[in-house]
Amino acid sequence: MSRMRLASRAVTVAVVALLALAGCGRVDVNSPGIRGIGFVRLDEVVKHHPLYAQLGQLDDAIAAINLAASAPIVPHSAAQIAADTKTLNAELKAAQARAGKILRQKQNDYANRERQAVGAALVAAGAAPAGAAVGAQMTAQSAQQAQNAARAANADFQAYERNVIVQNGNAIAAVAKQFQQQADRRFRARAEQLQQDEAQLSLRLSQADAPTRLSLKTRLSNLAFDDATRSSLRAQYAALDKKENDAMGALRARDRANLNAYRAQLQSETSASIRARATQINGQTKAELQSRRDSVASTIRGLGAAPLPPHLSPALQSKIAAIHQQVQGQFQSDAQQTIDEYDATKADLDRQYAALHGADVGATGAAAAQLAALQQHRSDLYDKIVAQIKTETARIAHDRGLSVVFENVEAAAGGYDLTNEVSKDVEGLHE
Amino acid sequence: MKLRIVPALLAGLLLAVTAAPASSAVDLNDVGFLDQAAIGNLTAFQSANAQLAAYKSQLDAQYAAQIKKAKSDADRQRISLQFDQTFNDKKNEVLGPLYQRAQYAIAQIAATRNLSVVVDKRIVIYGGQDISKDVVKLLVSSQALAPPAPPSASSEIGYVDQTQLDTLPKVKDANDQLAKFVSDQRAAYRGKYAQAKTDLQRQVVAGDYSKTVQDKQEALLKPLVDQTKSVTADIAKKKSLLLVIDRADVIYGGTDITKDVQDALSK
Repeated sequence: MSRMRLASRAVTVAVVALLALAGCGRVDVNSPGIRGIGFVRLDEVVKHHPLYAQLGQLDDAIAAINLAASAPIVPHSAAQIAADTKTLNAELKAAQARAGKILRQKQNDYANRERQAVGAALVAAGAAPAGAAVGAQMTAQSAQQAQNAARAANADFQAYERNVIVQNGNAIAAVAKQFQQQADRRFRARAEQLQQDEAQLSLRLSQADAPTRLSLKTRLSNLAFDDATRSSLRAQYAALDKKENDAMGALRARDRANLNAYRAQLQSETSASIRARATQINGQTKAELQSRRDSVASTIRGLGAAPLPPHLSPALQSKIAAIHQQVQGQFQSDAQQTIDEYDATKADLDRQYAALHGADVGATGAAAAQLAALQQHRSDLYDKIVAQIKTETARIAHDRGLSVVFENVEAAAGGYDLTNEVSKDVEGLHE
Repeated sequence: MKLRIVPALLAGLLLAVTAAPASSAVDLNDVGFLDQAAIGNLTAFQSANAQLAAYKSQLDAQYAAQIKKAKSDADRQRISLQFDQTFNDKKNEVLGPLYQRAQYAIAQIAATRNLSVVVDKRIVIYGGQDISKDVVKLLVSSQALAPPAPPSASSEIGYVDQTQLDTLPKVKDANDQLAKFVSDQRAAYRGKYAQAKTDLQRQVVAGDYSKTVQDKQEALLKPLVDQTKSVTADIAKKKSLLLVIDRADVIYGGTDITKDVQDALSK
């Protein structure tokens, strides 16, 4: 009997528990309003991710660089341009010296490698030790000749480049000065014109009011008037003053506004003219430098091996020539890296030259590199956050029995919104 | 003996409650998705893109030469438009036939699989039918493809063309206001940033700037976004759609409700 009662109670408890579970349980994702389709507002979930604060910090850092880099687009003074150009030229010179030093070092290294390879080839062919000495002497001589010629060509090019850049800077500074002087002249002419207009108006007003003024003065000097009449005359006199002052004030205000607008217009025109001319000058300079650089590169590429000693067999001679070709190829490929690095520095300095002459080129130099690194870091972090969210969403969708889940829908009239559920789940990550 | 009935009864109840929903409907299983990168990587598309890149570089040189000769802003604008048009014509000539064949292939596979909509893979987090491999296989085959018939069944996935909504005067006004605000604030904060003496001060200025811009963005655009979402959801409900996505994510099919949303927002 007691067993029966126990069983009956157990069934009751179970039924109540299951009904309670069903009452507050899961949404039916297969209902007509959902039909197995879900969505997540990804932008919302991202805000709940433990790494979201880091994204904000990166955004602030990016904003800081952008703020610092956004230079106002107004022409610099000729003195400023000259001073800044000098600094940039010094940076360019340092970059040239660095690149030259690295290239010389690489040239030495490859010459040594070639010497060793030729020596080994001679030993293998039985031409050592005398042959090895000849090989070493030959490659050393060849390397030395090539090195000297390349050094001379590079030095010649660098001197030429320095010269052209200085000329470029001077030309642009002169152009900037010339445009600024023109703008100043035009501004002064306009200001003088307006001052004349103001003087003329003042004169016209005075002349127009002169009879009234005289009449008032005459009547005021009449001692027979009572205080009220005298006061009325003074008021008329003051009103006359006020009328003239107001008219003059209005004209001056208009002229000030006119002059301010004219100054802004002149600045904009001057800036545009300087930029256009600077772009043209920079383009010519770049073309001149490129032409000379191509010519120097062609000279250096043409530097061949020293003539081979006559007593070596034809097979050995061609083997040594092959070694020379191979090492030279390796050197050129390696040297290209240094040249590319130098070109990148040069390109950055070119942008700074352009910025100096009024072009809005954004962040440059170290700031540009830092900006790019921060943007990459932000993008990586965001991708990582989104990937984690998607993994969690897919898991929950699978558990829920959904058929398909979209991200960031425009609007939902149905379907199942997983945003809150995924947000809670994501908040627990890394905890 | 009777006690043995209890576990069986419990199990039955549990099954009834958890496995049988109150009202069930057929899940939406006519949603497909496509990895567009898989198509972009096909040799035909890569060659076409390389051809276009070479053409563009040649065009850029001509553009640079002509723009130098321009005497006014109007001249520059005319030259820019002319070059854009030339490039677009070339793009249509080179890529047009490839895009058309791809569209035919997608439509054919979608019809075979009874899909009412095919979307970009990027917006699908879970589920759906991946048709990328089938489409690629059909594209590289020598099979001639016919123009597709419209999808047989209307889709319960709707879409709106966000670029069209952006042209509505109030949306455009809000965007213009925001652009001006950002430009003004940038100039104002640039001065504050230049005056800041320590890294901490600079950090504070940059943070304030970001927040000011975000707050303004929220104040100007959020009401419009909310209104658009609400209007779109109402229209979706009337048209018995479940979800509405952006036109840019739809590759095939779907139900276009852009005009309805535009009309409702313009009232």
